[in-house]
Amino acid sequence: MSLLRMAGLAIVLVISLLFAVFVGDQGPWYFSWVIGTVMIILISGAGAILLDAQMDSSSEKEV
Amino acid sequence: MELYALLKLIWAALLCILFIGLGLMVGMDMGVGTLLRFVGRNDGERRTALNIIGPHWDGNQVWFILGGGAIFAAFPTLYATSFSVFYVVMILLLFSMILRPVAFEYRSKADSTLWRASWDWVFLISGFLPMFIYGAAFGNILEGVGYHFGWNGQYYQDSSFLSYLLNPFVILCGLMSVSLSVYQGGVMLMMRSENPIYSRARTYAQRGGLLAIVLFAIGGLFISRMKGFVLTAPVDPAMPANPLHGQHVAQLAGGWLHNYAAHPFLWLLPVLGFASMTLSVLAVRAQKAILAWWSGLGCWIGTIGTVAAAMFPFLMPSTTAPDQSLSIWNSTASAYGLTCMLVVALIFVPIILCYTSWCYYVMRGKVRTADIIHDSHSY
Amino acid sequence: MDLINPTVVDLSRFQFALTALYHFMFVPLTLGLTFMLAAMETVYVVTGRKIYKEMAQFWGKLFGINFAIGVATGITMEFEFGTNWSMYSRFFGDMFGTPLAIEGLMAFFMESTFVGLMFFGWDRLSKQAHLAVTYLVALGSNLSALWILIANASMNVPEGAHFDPDTMRMQFDSFVHVVFNPDAQSKFVHTSVAGYVSAALFVMGISAFYILRGQHKQFAARSFRMAALFGIISTVAVITLGDVLGRMDYEKQPTKIAAIEGLWHTSKPPYEPWILAALPDDAKQENHFEIGVPFVLTPLITHDFNTPITGLHELEDAAGPRIQSGIEAVSALRRYGETHQQADLDVFQAHEADMGFGFLATRHAPGQDVTTLSAEALPQVIEATKPDILPNVFVTFWAFRLMVFLALYFFALFAISSYVSLKNRLERNRLLLRLCLWSIPLPILATEFGWITAEAGRQPWTVFNRLPTFLSASTHSVSYMLFSLAGFAVLYSIFIAAELYLMFKFARLGPEAHDTPQTAPDHLHLGGAASTPAAAH
Repeated sequence: MSLLRMAGLAIVLVISLLFAVFVGDQGPWYFSWVIGTVMIILISGAGAILLDAQMDSSSEKEV
Repeated sequence: MELYALLKLIWAALLCILFIGLGLMVGMDMGVGTLLRFVGRNDGERRTALNIIGPHWDGNQVWFILGGGAIFAAFPTLYATSFSVFYVVMILLLFSMILRPVAFEYRSKADSTLWRASWDWVFLISGFLPMFIYGAAFGNILEGVGYHFGWNGQYYQDSSFLSYLLNPFVILCGLMSVSLSVYQGGVMLMMRSENPIYSRARTYAQRGGLLAIVLFAIGGLFISRMKGFVLTAPVDPAMPANPLHGQHVAQLAGGWLHNYAAHPFLWLLPVLGFASMTLSVLAVRAQKAILAWWSGLGCWIGTIGTVAAAMFPFLMPSTTAPDQSLSIWNSTASAYGLTCMLVVALIFVPIILCYTSWCYYVMRGKVRTADIIHDSHSY
Repeated sequence: MDLINPTVVDLSRFQFALTALYHFMFVPLTLGLTFMLAAMETVYVVTGRKIYKEMAQFWGKLFGINFAIGVATGITMEFEFGTNWSMYSRFFGDMFGTPLAIEGLMAFFMESTFVGLMFFGWDRLSKQAHLAVTYLVALGSNLSALWILIANASMNVPEGAHFDPDTMRMQFDSFVHVVFNPDAQSKFVHTSVAGYVSAALFVMGISAFYILRGQHKQFAARSFRMAALFGIISTVAVITLGDVLGRMDYEKQPTKIAAIEGLWHTSKPPYEPWILAALPDDAKQENHFEIGVPFVLTPLITHDFNTPITGLHELEDAAGPRIQSGIEAVSALRRYGETHQQADLDVFQAHEADMGFGFLATRHAPGQDVTTLSAEALPQVIEATKPDILPNVFVTFWAFRLMVFLALYFFALFAISSYVSLKNRLERNRLLLRLCLWSIPLPILATEFGWITAEAGRQPWTVFNRLPTFLSASTHSVSYMLFSLAGFAVLYSIFIAAELYLMFKFARLGPEAHDTPQTAPDHLHLGGAASTPAAAH
């Protein structure tokens, strides 16, 4: 099972790499859209998790 | 045979398959919409009926969008001409189609009786009308349409939209398509509901199937006497896709039977239609819903196949300029365009079929009224 | 040959603009909200905190209300090319239809199939599987935008196709050129990210409303924070890509960029001002007054300090020879269509690049036929056609400026909101919260102005420099057009009323109400056969 998972991961990585090389070359803006969208999601998610941490550390503090 | 001609043939076949898929899948949802007010006698029952197709109607409707997109890409001249020639009819179809997504999403989101009753009427209209127009369009192209092209390819309309709507054969074709859709919708409801919806759906499915048999038979008689279109000189199937040149066409009584006379095995198609419809009615009587559903596929293959076999190679013949009739040889995209689309279709159609089936698998099982009421995500 | 009725063309254009702008009120929210839902659900799956699931579900409900109209009005767009723009569809369908069909196969199918699972699958799928479904919906809706914008870019910068005289239409010859068309790339990212901005402000505004009322505090604080951060990065990206698009237009569509900047005469680098406000007069071909910032225009458009930008007057003068050559191309094309003589084909091919300008002249030729034009009438027709190559400067100029000013405002708003939210000082900044609430419709407005800039700036062409707009329309009667226009007006008004009613209803109800199961009110009780009028059957 873990071998299967590894193989799956490897396939995903190879496809991403191929995508990065080909689309990064032919369509730099498409590539930047993919990277940018991932970044936007991660940063906004991180912001929310930070809020959780802020709330937990000082439960008396107002929003 | 030249590659370009082969590509044209493949796309004509794909167009047929698309029309069949569209009739079956969209027809099924439209049938549920048409039947909604009749199988559900109170709000809970109606919501049950809606939620049976709830997770799938949107995906099915895409077949319809895709039908338009595929005609645009693979038969641009047909798309450009037919949508404009049938302007008023197309706009009516469009209006009824765009009401549907909104009706699904909005109907159960407010509690007012008037609100819900209004959307139930919208379901009836937007289920009945598109299927009627779908069938009627086939009726119209069988009879021929009045248009011609100018030198630069601009089309000009030669007859009024009234002649496309108020015409006995066209109405018959429209009703034929509605009855098949009511049949399929009824069967879908049977598969995934319990009494009392089940038994009502069964009654309507049976009536739909019976009506389809009768209308199919009468339609066949009409077609055999109709002035069909025939090529008077052989055409080059690989010709540049331009309706202005290279085709000589005559309109003859009984012309639509020429293909059947030349290739008697084509008679299998109408036979398949009748056989499937009979099987359908019997399966519904025997309460074998799954068999009935698949037999509905046979009905659509039979009917669309019959029309396609009669008309080949014509797509939309012109009564006022028969030589400019649109056929599968003169209205397709370029060889490059057709190849691109074929590659894309070969990649994505299997993927689509996979995830669509997975979606049905996840949402399998009977839909119960009690569950609907307590699920805030349901329609 | 029947003459083209300008009223029908204008009505077709009006109808298309109306339905496209209306469709585009709902699309940006779909593009952005799906990814916001995905972000919320990601946090839910990572941290396991239920509140993020509630967020995904609540905003998902508002998304659903919006999505339905987006889908419905999108169908209209697909129909309209055929119903109202027959000549365009035939002329350009080989090229234009392909991205549209791929959109259906690749994106719309995915989006529509999985959106059902996203709403209905909460209890039937594992957390991870549901998250994957949400991402697929987001990806699907954005891929859908991708293919539509690829199609749109091919109208603005028709690369990867050539005109074929045997079929009298543009034929597709390079898939890679069409997909990786630089205009398509920057347009897609610009539009998609503009959708993110709309969605971010939507979520931020409604969260601000809850904070102002002191309701759903935990829920609103988290939604606000996520939206603010989502919005600030997206706004930066929108502005960057806007700049890229400007450079693209400068290279490929000089008339559009000159109209956007209200530049009647070729610019004098480096001190040429960037006009902040002006009153362009299309009839007199001048600006009535101008307020500008010197030294900005040249580096803004060209990214250097010494390249002049061609003005509208100069572009108009340069069109004269192209119109004359275009008339010869069209005449030769017609002869070739009738006779198939190689000689005619040779003449056509010599003038092929200018064919569109010949078509443009048809409107001014006697009997709308340039192929039988006499030598005496020719100069007059060319003079009359020249001003036609310019788009409407007033509209393009102001649509662009309003879009830019709004974008700068969003940048400030998101920057301040992010800061205040990160400092957890939202409740004390009530003015900011009110500003956020009232700004909800503004990104929608900005994207509409963006559409107007791009498409009004493309005029007078449907296919840039190839096919004029007035030749593209179907030859309908005015009554047909009025019939459909009236229908759209009625239907679309009903839609917007229903949408706003439900949006306000569910936004006011808030997330808690969403979580309790909906119970049917008394008059809709189960099994009460006589309770609804519809049970009369």
